[in-house]
Amino acid sequence: MDLLLDFGRGPLFRLAIALAILGLIRQFALTFYGMAEALHHTSDRTLPWWDMTRRTFAWLLPLGTLWRSKPVYSLLSFLFHIGLLVVPLTLAAHIGLWERSSGLAWWPALPQPLADRLTLLVLVAGPLLFLARLLIRHMRQLSRLQDFLWPLLLTVPFLSGYLCANASLSATAYRSWMLVHVYSADLILVLIPFTKIAHCVLLPLSQYAGGIAWKFPKGAGAKVVATLRKKESWV
Amino acid sequence: MRRITREEREKAFAYPKKPEVIEKQKLPVRYHVEEGLEVEGRPRRFLEAMAAVLKHTNYHFILDHYARIGAKCSRCSVACQIYQATGDSRDIPCMRSELLLSVYRRHFTVGGLLKGRIAGGEGLTDEEVQRMADSFWDCTACRRCTFECPMGIDHGLVTHLGRYILSEIGIAPRALVVSTREQLTGKTRNTSAIPLPALADTLEFLEEEMAETKGVEVKFPVDVEGADYLFIAPVSDYMMEAETLMGIACVMHATGASWTIGTGDYDAINYGLFYSDHALEEILKMMEAEVKRLGVNVILIGECCHASLSANYFYNTFADHKLPVINILEYTHDALKAGKLKIDPDIIDQSVTYHDPCNIARPGWIIEQPREILRAFCRDYREMTPNGRDNYCCGGGGGTVSIDEIRPYRTIVGGKRKADQVRRTGAHYLVAPCANCKKQFREIFEDNGLDCELVGLHDLLYKAIILSPDGVAWRDPAGMEMEA
Repeated sequence: MDLLLDFGRGPLFRLAIALAILGLIRQFALTFYGMAEALHHTSDRTLPWWDMTRRTFAWLLPLGTLWRSKPVYSLLSFLFHIGLLVVPLTLAAHIGLWERSSGLAWWPALPQPLADRLTLLVLVAGPLLFLARLLIRHMRQLSRLQDFLWPLLLTVPFLSGYLCANASLSATAYRSWMLVHVYSADLILVLIPFTKIAHCVLLPLSQYAGGIAWKFPKGAGAKVVATLRKKESWV
Repeated sequence: MRRITREEREKAFAYPKKPEVIEKQKLPVRYHVEEGLEVEGRPRRFLEAMAAVLKHTNYHFILDHYARIGAKCSRCSVACQIYQATGDSRDIPCMRSELLLSVYRRHFTVGGLLKGRIAGGEGLTDEEVQRMADSFWDCTACRRCTFECPMGIDHGLVTHLGRYILSEIGIAPRALVVSTREQLTGKTRNTSAIPLPALADTLEFLEEEMAETKGVEVKFPVDVEGADYLFIAPVSDYMMEAETLMGIACVMHATGASWTIGTGDYDAINYGLFYSDHALEEILKMMEAEVKRLGVNVILIGECCHASLSANYFYNTFADHKLPVINILEYTHDALKAGKLKIDPDIIDQSVTYHDPCNIARPGWIIEQPREILRAFCRDYREMTPNGRDNYCCGGGGGTVSIDEIRPYRTIVGGKRKADQVRRTGAHYLVAPCANCKKQFREIFEDNGLDCELVGLHDLLYKAIILSPDGVAWRDPAGMEMEA
């Protein structure tokens, strides 16, 4: 078990986080390149840059806009995100982990009581979000497999981490829960760039991408007709 | 707002097509599609068309982005008036976009390809193509959903692209295709097939009318080379919205601007915006040819929101030389602010409310201007809520208004929310400065038993604007009172 634990916290963790970061950089770069290429192909580049920037920031911290529709779901999701983002990055135990792996550890740690409360927030919000998807008809019909699994999967490292930090466990129990914690976190890291969680880097680009997408290249229509080997446009 | 009842649902979704046509075309959609539709190998041809479109246009990166980023939170459903009326989860904007995005993921990404190989599955089926043909034309492309999506997905763009790909395999509403074909290749070169002599007759008649009611000679200049403004109206106005045109002519007369109508292109309507980027470009190139022929400096579009958006947003993409494109509401507003319009504030004493057409209001382009104009001379002006950028679509957007066979759907489902809004204001006049909205509203009023008069903004202005030196705005024409 100790071997598995050391592997999960050491080489596997480094691999998982490398895949996550490189994968996210790749997604960002591909979308960014796509935007630049599209802008290059169109001949009219006037865009409402200020409006798109304003909307980007409005959605990154959606304090004003989120409550317009589905306020309960939006609040749950918002609180879930706060726990998800703050705890893994600022927990004292994790800072130790980064330092052992990479030598980096310059940021301050979260006070443990606050970390505990945020973890409980995630433990409550996650299953509630899952239940919302399961029980509300139109949300159930809209959701794919990953939409059901993600709220559950994300709660696993938080549950196991909370138990390791706070419950009085025997040495074996502690190591078992730590194993669950480490491997579920590694799994999540690896899956990030390949699923909708990639929105963590893609979201800032959305408004710009959407605006650029409406700028069409000249002559594309005729080229499509020619490629499809039609004698004349069906139009 | 209540959902539609079962009775309303049956009426709205009844099939106007003969069963043998549906059988032959294997296309159970409610809009008529042209004869000679190829049915064999439709999924393959859809994918080929999609590949060709993605290769030559800019859509590839945005489809990839949207396919990855969707959270499936269904916040968009709250904003969509179609979903609110039907309660059918297929009308959730994200669900509709997923129809096309899932095809993209499965057939155009490495992950999708691998998953297909490993998990099996036949890929795109004919049923899925039929479902897309149905769903993309249930949407009015009003883009209200874009305000609620936390991931910034523009479902209107996905609908737009879905319709474009479908049109490349022959699936598009016949009403739009036939009109566009007449506009691009027909003799009359406009969507209503109005020949030039008929246009000339109409303009002459309207000039006589204005001379009587305004007491001044107001002309429609035609083919004036070197004029500042090229005025292009939606051509249906020449048949159906005489008062709008006369109101516009009076405004131009009051400002003393140098303007002209062009006989080479007097139709601003651009159905290409609704179903084919190719047609969109070709129609705008026709406009460019007319601009070059007459040597004008500004393109002035009449009261039509999709025509204004097509020209304002896309003319400079497709033309060789960039030109400013404005909507008549902007022009009239500027004239009002500059003090060039003398208006009698006592003529319009009934209550007035205003509908924001989606294509000019959603981008935040024209919201305050028409309100300032109306408040200048309408004593009882009332707002609908929500309005401005948040307005509800009339229910006939995205070209659906021109598809007569789906009128029950439009007036029962699409227009339901709007009918309730108008009823609540209790206004006598509803001002809707868009040719498509006007048609939709008249049908909504008929089908929903609403007692409200539908007018364009310049219709009201036409009654109240003072052009003659004696300060009289309106003289009753000899014989009849002009019907609004």
